[in-house]
Amino acid sequence: MWDYTDKVKDHFLHPRNARVIEDANAVGDVGSIICGDALRLMLKIDPVTEVIEDASFQTYGCGSAIASSSALTEMLKGKTLKEAEKITTQEIVDYLGGLPPEKMHCSVMGREALDAAIANYHGQSYENSHDDGELVCHCFGVGINKIKKAVWENHLTTVEEVTNYTKAGGGCGSCKMRIEEIIDEVWVDLEKCGVPRPGHAPTPIPSITVSTSTTSSPAFSSIGTVTSAKGATAAVEAQIDEKTKSSPIYDDVVKILKEVSDGLTDGSKVELAAISGADVIVKLEGPASSGMMKDMTLGFLKQKLTDGTGRQINVATR
Amino acid sequence: MNTMDLGAGLGGIYLDNNATTQIDPKVVEAMLPYLNVYFGNASSQHGFGVPVEKAIERAREQVADFLGAEHPDEIIFTSCATESDNTALWSALWSQKGKTEIITTPVEHPAIMQTCDFLASHGATIKYLKVSGKGDIDLDEFESLLTPQTALASVMWANNETGNIYPVPELAEIAYKHGVMFHTDAVQAVSKIPVDLKNTKINMLSFSGHKIHAPKGIGVLYVRRGTRFIPFMKGGHQERGRRAGTENVPYIVGLGVACELAKKHLEDVNSRVRALRDKLQQGILSSIPECFVTGDESRRTDNTLNIAFKFVEGEAILLMLNEYGIAASSGSACSSDSLEPSHVMRAMNVPFSAAHGTIRFSLSRFTTEEDINKTLEVLPQIISTLRSMSPYWKEGKPQIQGLDHEFDADSKEVRA
Repeated sequence: MWDYTDKVKDHFLHPRNARVIEDANAVGDVGSIICGDALRLMLKIDPVTEVIEDASFQTYGCGSAIASSSALTEMLKGKTLKEAEKITTQEIVDYLGGLPPEKMHCSVMGREALDAAIANYHGQSYENSHDDGELVCHCFGVGINKIKKAVWENHLTTVEEVTNYTKAGGGCGSCKMRIEEIIDEVWVDLEKCGVPRPGHAPTPIPSITVSTSTTSSPAFSSIGTVTSAKGATAAVEAQIDEKTKSSPIYDDVVKILKEVSDGLTDGSKVELAAISGADVIVKLEGPASSGMMKDMTLGFLKQKLTDGTGRQINVATR
Repeated sequence: MNTMDLGAGLGGIYLDNNATTQIDPKVVEAMLPYLNVYFGNASSQHGFGVPVEKAIERAREQVADFLGAEHPDEIIFTSCATESDNTALWSALWSQKGKTEIITTPVEHPAIMQTCDFLASHGATIKYLKVSGKGDIDLDEFESLLTPQTALASVMWANNETGNIYPVPELAEIAYKHGVMFHTDAVQAVSKIPVDLKNTKINMLSFSGHKIHAPKGIGVLYVRRGTRFIPFMKGGHQERGRRAGTENVPYIVGLGVACELAKKHLEDVNSRVRALRDKLQQGILSSIPECFVTGDESRRTDNTLNIAFKFVEGEAILLMLNEYGIAASSGSACSSDSLEPSHVMRAMNVPFSAAHGTIRFSLSRFTTEEDINKTLEVLPQIISTLRSMSPYWKEGKPQIQGLDHEFDADSKEVRA
């Protein structure tokens, strides 16, 4: 039996808002009976104030899927659409007092249903991410197709890079071997297309062909913040003090942070604030700025910067 | 730790006996002297070893009698049925030069399936029999797969999820006719159906103690005299050099007693327990719409009922049952580590839409009528509560207008 928190059990046994809103004007459907979980999120949004007046759900799935849905509807009620958009999967997890690592995808499903409902409200359709094939990373609900796409388009060669781009492998890490296999599979095809595979020696990050990341697919720029991140980097550059700019590692750090930031597809952003000796101060925005994701992001940056500059770098936020 | 808290509260109803069983108090009683007093090593020449050695031989006789083996020395004690299965597969390949094929089914326990996968990646050829929608196999197809290169045919005697009983004595006969060694994983069969090995052509048989009211950590591999055999565990002369490692004496003694008790209670399982299982099945089918029994109702173990509830997910059912102190198990993806439903349901082509909602109730001789009554009392409400939350359950419900998507509850799709 999974080790659920009391809050999860409570929301499962006494689900809030498990009903149909007949005059809902935003409906988000994700998942399918084939996958074993499906969620219909129904919202009634005031078209003038864009306040979510009512939220309800119907869920087919395990205990934590039902609990996550219930929690999400409670979180949504009374919020404006703008506030709702900012809800992260981590916040759903936190609301429930945590989920077992195997069940993190339940909160991801809730977040996807919210995206779908918002898209529906704006008269758009939303392709749910359960179409992305074999689920490789259970912690973050990342499918094989998303990973293959990231490897293919960005010529990724290491698991670390895949984590950077897709989050896959960033949780418990048990899928790292599978990700390695997927990277190999994609490179077989890439090499057939005449792309030479870099040697198996650990590849320092500057060898990622920056030019390819600027030609990211529309899918990436639509979820991610490729364009805005670039603009932001430029803006930040103007504010950075002279001491930081004169740092011998300044160019490397800026480049690495930009690559990391471009690679975040969940709306997160990483920006340089200052460099003082071997201390790099960064600003984080989006899901990466709080909770478990923050720690993971900082740890990841530390490693990237240390590898990329050849110095022992400390990373902190302001 | 509160040792009285079973997780489901006191007086919990345990209907998950195909996963593991409670240890019979008589078994515990028989084991205690070998934990408290007789600590000797059976291999020792001095007095401490003698009673221990005798106890092991007594247990070996009890197990041989239970299985209907001709000779007690055909019984090898192992750590679990998984070890027995591994040993059987490896031994068959190692001991028969030039033979590289294994015939098996796609509904075996992972102890067979994953070992076969490993052996396949190291050069062995694994041939899988087809199973029907009810999980049955075809004897003619089995015979057609046997070749002079076949090292072993391994078919489980009964399936853990559906309870399906496979015609193992007949299969062994066919294999014998073709000079092919035959092994069966009988974990779910022993203690539920009569087993009389001396009147079959079965070469090897695996089972484990914890499914027959003995503790975990003890298993048996039966190896018929005259069967080519190479030990899997090397490093000692124990078990006549066929399984190295100091004997797990208390557990061996416990297993011996458990076998004796299982033989004695077989009739009870085949009559009273069967009647309870049938009552549970009838009760569920008559009170809950849109559910069906998986497997072959005419040929399954008397303690097992596997039932698929459409439109609801298995783990959610288990969690709610657990709230009432009722323990069962599910073939659903979410109740396991994998995100796909069980390989047994997939092999039987049960659509994913139903496979996710399968619940297995497995009874034992300790199951009472009261247990079944209580289960029948709460289950309909659980299913209807979960269905009322499910977007697939439309009965009597208003429909939202203007949806661009409909959930397809009858999808026959299976994912690759």
